[in-house]
Amino acid sequence: MFFLKYLRRELRRRMRQAIFIALGLALGVGLVITVSATSSGVKKAQSKVLSSLYGVGTDVTVTGGNAGPPKGAAAQPPAVAIGKSVSNIVPSYAAVSASKVSQVARLSGVTAAAGVLSLSDSSITFRNGPPLTNSLTIDGIGTGHFSLGPLSGATLISGHAFTAADSNAAVAVVDSGYATSHSLKVGSALTISRVKYTVIGIVRQPQQGGTPTDAYIPLARAQAISTPYGAQKNDVNTIYVSAASAADISAVSKEISALLPGTTVTTASSLASQVTGTLSTVEKLVNDLGRWLSVLVLIAAFVLAGLLTMAAVARRAREFGTLKAIGWRSGRIITQVLGESVTTGIAGAAAGVGLGYAGAAIIAAIAPTLPATVPENTGNSVAQVQQAGPGSSLSSLGGTTSHTVSVPLHPSVTVGVIVLAVILAVAGGLLAGVVGSWRISQLRPADALARVA
Amino acid sequence: MYKLTGVTKLYHKGRRTVPAVRDLTLAIEDGQWLAVQGRTGSGKSTLLNLLGGLDRPTEGTVELDGTDLRTLREEPLTRLRAESIGFVFQTFNLVPTLMAADNVEAALIPLRTRYAERRQRVAAALESVGLADRASHLPSELSGGQQQRVAIARALVKDPKVLLADEPTGNLDEDTRDEIITLLEQLWRDRGLTLVVITHDTAVARRAQRTGVMNKGRLTIR
Repeated sequence: MFFLKYLRRELRRRMRQAIFIALGLALGVGLVITVSATSSGVKKAQSKVLSSLYGVGTDVTVTGGNAGPPKGAAAQPPAVAIGKSVSNIVPSYAAVSASKVSQVARLSGVTAAAGVLSLSDSSITFRNGPPLTNSLTIDGIGTGHFSLGPLSGATLISGHAFTAADSNAAVAVVDSGYATSHSLKVGSALTISRVKYTVIGIVRQPQQGGTPTDAYIPLARAQAISTPYGAQKNDVNTIYVSAASAADISAVSKEISALLPGTTVTTASSLASQVTGTLSTVEKLVNDLGRWLSVLVLIAAFVLAGLLTMAAVARRAREFGTLKAIGWRSGRIITQVLGESVTTGIAGAAAGVGLGYAGAAIIAAIAPTLPATVPENTGNSVAQVQQAGPGSSLSSLGGTTSHTVSVPLHPSVTVGVIVLAVILAVAGGLLAGVVGSWRISQLRPADALARVA
Repeated sequence: MYKLTGVTKLYHKGRRTVPAVRDLTLAIEDGQWLAVQGRTGSGKSTLLNLLGGLDRPTEGTVELDGTDLRTLREEPLTRLRAESIGFVFQTFNLVPTLMAADNVEAALIPLRTRYAERRQRVAAALESVGLADRASHLPSELSGGQQQRVAIARALVKDPKVLLADEPTGNLDEDTRDEIITLLEQLWRDRGLTLVVITHDTAVARRAQRTGVMNKGRLTIR
């Protein structure tokens, strides 16, 4: 009771100084919260970009290398006359035996693996002027489960997804963008390699990340399609892998690389390093400059609080000397001073949390979207055919393009960050009190009483 | 009560050594009122600090009821002050942010008395100095004489054996000085305390049972 009474009265007397110290701590704490919230928002934005590239739940993707020229391809393909079309379905990547999928699934640290055969159905019509192109990207997927693979992050907006019974059926699930542009709906027919597939469902993929595949058909159907490389029977060219935990991802990647040499093994972190644009700039800014700035401001606030507390203790030397004279132990006086400085720290923490929330809200308001450029390995690309012009073959082309997306930045303040911030502010107050009250323990009552008030 | 034997206190100022008290021997009986006079710098306040355990002698012994204060460690010495010694200072030394009652209560905090008992004793102490109606006033709202009364109440609230007053009227006008000294005298008589008053004022010293004069660190008892 007396402790609180004394504390309250003393803080009221030194209100300006207490507010000054609390504000200093609040600034440091607010900056820590804002930087952490922004960092969290950037991480979320990045993971949205990355997860949409290869689906929710995927920790590692394995793709075959570039498909290269098909066997027996003519060194000089036949010329195509003006007004005529060239059409071909080619695999996006080199083939990987489907049996490798089960081998990958059995690796230590792997919870699941799903094989996909990615194809590209491209046609080009040569005419006077720019050639007319049409392309259809196709993913042949297993019909058993969709928790892993290209449809894992998709939302079904009409119709239904594949069932196990569709494993060899001529049915397709179509991306909503492609369906709209080609006036497809559930029940429509989609021709792939001269076979009519019935559209049974339409899905929407997450906005961020790469270009979504246009159509999904059962894996067995995709494997049966004739390509310049022959039918891709028992082949896939992409394996989606789910790891047991984040800690296993690195080891799993190494095991897969050893099991499947010549393939490209990609994890979220390796993909993250390829993301460029404003998103990655902001990430660097937040992680490097932002963190260091908030640490520096916090240190400055701690030092300021310590110095001001020491000065206040010096001014109260006679008061403390009197208390010692009437029988107060040094520890009791120190506890009183610590109580005052911790209370100031708590006030700083409360104000800092408010400032942090405000900072996060301001950032969300003024920097709503960040462009991110992500790489896409498109395998065989229509774009490169256009560059080659009439007389070109659609095969033996491959490459990487990049795709820019706008990612909304939503800074998020977590409970963990608030707790950390409160601990930091209270620690700052405590440190200031310890530094200031060290002098009390050294104070000799006779010397303190001899000082002029 | 007190027995000082060959007490010397030296202060070191750089290379110089200043003897504040030299080879002082003194006995103060229980319930005695001793006034110590002397000029500024004669060692009066140093003597009071030694009696109150606020400072330790360089040589000699300071015994209070047979206990040599010089041999006590800080904690038991602080405890002794809390229980047995009351102080009154020239500049009152009240905590400026605490009300009169709280200032008096501060002397009971080290004794860990219960809240109800504390409030009761505080009220009684303020009543004994005639300030019961000023309990909720801050020091800044009290006159010099009233502040010194609060300080006296603080010194006496714990029923000490000894009351040490360092120039208790030094900052007061003549009329208030008389009031305070009269109050101290009355309390001394009523409670049978041992009272040591440091003063440069002869009028104050004259009212004591016994008077000593400090001169360059040496005490002469009249």
